[in-house]
Amino acid sequence: MNLKKYLSLTRAGIMESLQFRMSTVIIFVGNLLYLIVVYFLWKAIYASSGQEVVNGMTFSDTLIYLVLATALFNFMEMYAVWEIGRAIQSGKIVLDLIKPMKYRTYLFWSYSGSFVVNFFATLFPTFIVVCFVTHGAIPLGLNLLYFVISVVLAVMINYNIDFFVGTICLYTESIWGINIMKQVIVLLLSGATIPIAFFPETIRNIVYYLPFQSIYNAPLTLLLGKSPELKDTAIVIGTQLIWFLITYAISRLFWKISLPQITVNGG
Amino acid sequence: MAPVIDIKNITKEFKVLNRREGLAGSIKDLFSRDYKIVKAVDNITMSIDQGEIVGYLGPNGAGKSTTIKMMTGVLEPTSGEILVNGKLPYKNRSKNAQNIGVVFGQRSQLWWALPLVESFKLLKDIYQISDEQYDSMMKLYQSLVDIEPLLHKPVRQMSLGQRTLSDILAAFLHNPKIVFLDEPTIGLDVSMKAKIRTLIHALNKEKNTTVILTTHDMGDVDALCQRIVIIDKGKMLYDNDILHLKGFFGSYRTLKIRVDGNLKKASEEISKEFPSLKVTADDEWISILVDEDKITVMEVLTKLQKERRVRDMQLEEISTEDVIKKIYEEGVK
Repeated sequence: MNLKKYLSLTRAGIMESLQFRMSTVIIFVGNLLYLIVVYFLWKAIYASSGQEVVNGMTFSDTLIYLVLATALFNFMEMYAVWEIGRAIQSGKIVLDLIKPMKYRTYLFWSYSGSFVVNFFATLFPTFIVVCFVTHGAIPLGLNLLYFVISVVLAVMINYNIDFFVGTICLYTESIWGINIMKQVIVLLLSGATIPIAFFPETIRNIVYYLPFQSIYNAPLTLLLGKSPELKDTAIVIGTQLIWFLITYAISRLFWKISLPQITVNGG
Repeated sequence: MAPVIDIKNITKEFKVLNRREGLAGSIKDLFSRDYKIVKAVDNITMSIDQGEIVGYLGPNGAGKSTTIKMMTGVLEPTSGEILVNGKLPYKNRSKNAQNIGVVFGQRSQLWWALPLVESFKLLKDIYQISDEQYDSMMKLYQSLVDIEPLLHKPVRQMSLGQRTLSDILAAFLHNPKIVFLDEPTIGLDVSMKAKIRTLIHALNKEKNTTVILTTHDMGDVDALCQRIVIIDKGKMLYDNDILHLKGFFGSYRTLKIRVDGNLKKASEEISKEFPSLKVTADDEWISILVDEDKITVMEVLTKLQKERRVRDMQLEEISTEDVIKKIYEEGVK
């Protein structure tokens, strides 16, 4: 019975996403352009290196990774920082706060509908295309199940980070700079724009101790892992689980102590 | 019976950074620790019973919204005690939410892109309203307003009036004990205002819902409120029934006239003619505040016309702001 109110938000989210057909098309075209840029950029990088394999990855390995990372980004990105920031600036947050549901829960489930739509609009088609074009770059086995678990954790870690950054807006009352900063940090350190294998060794080691790689690198590693050893999989998912708990605790605590800061004026 | 809202000596303070002027000032502000304390609400006490409609008035920035936010549990008072349904609202925000409904005239809780009925269904699930209650509520709505054409219209395509109406219906949907209406008639035309007043009145009667109404429109107050609370600069100025308030401002009206020649000079002359009246002039109008217990507006106008040609005139009922100004200047008798 309790689940119904959350699924109801999912349902409304799906309906709302479907209202904006043009935006789906535009996102699709925008991604295509991005992927073309990525293709030529990495082609040039490989050409100038003069080697077939750079940092243990071939050109097609890199490309597959980045195509899937882009699809994953489009699936997961929820712009929660924007949403929280705008709600704080406009004062609409008051209306959300007086729903009989915790704000972070309410916001998450409001977004959940767009996950469903994005899954069918971007992630799933990309996956199918990559499967067909590469003839088996993605092994079809248990790794798919691990991937799904990993993505669910990644979505929640990403949300916790977004929520944390959104909470900062309670203090700054500005969004833009904070949002850009967050996006750059997450996209770079998570391996969404450059595979982590390409990072210099010291930085790569540091990155493995940060939560960001759990968002993109972890699920993609599991998906593309050629021979998934159970132990490795457990380590990846375990790390994600730990990061989920840590980011959850921190963002929740931060929200709790920050909420009294609210000073929305007028209305 | 215990009151639904019980407020004792609440105060809310905000810390505001003292800003400096100019670019250099803005840069200095980055490192400034120079805060001042602003009292948005200062020692307010009131208690409201089930089923009352209370007009909560005061000029912009008086602290009305801050009080409402404390009653809804969004803000925590700096000091004092506030009980809503016998509970501390900011400690039990999610539980308190079941018992309150809120409409802010300038923003909407409805799902913008979806037809109204979808928002209702969503609220039904979020507030866990039973099917029977939902159906009986919809039947009630149908009997009060022509809701059918609105239900299937996306909220973003609605006029402001339709949207406000829908927002009010949404706020009452889970049959809360208290509904806060913050300037619900702002920006609406006369007929829509009347419709909304009738609706609020009917819902209050039907469900015995307590309504706290913030407004700048005296028409709302006249149509709905038995009791009025006025605050300004965070302090409570008045808390009594409407008849009492009317006694103190009802006989005042503002007569505005336009005459040929210099308005300033003319206003000085009028001031001499009627030493008991307050006469002011701006670029367009000469305003005369008339106490109709002493002299009627017609008498003033006749007398004025004997001396000079009145080119244009307007009669203004005294506004909420004027009453508050008067109460503020003279205190409560």
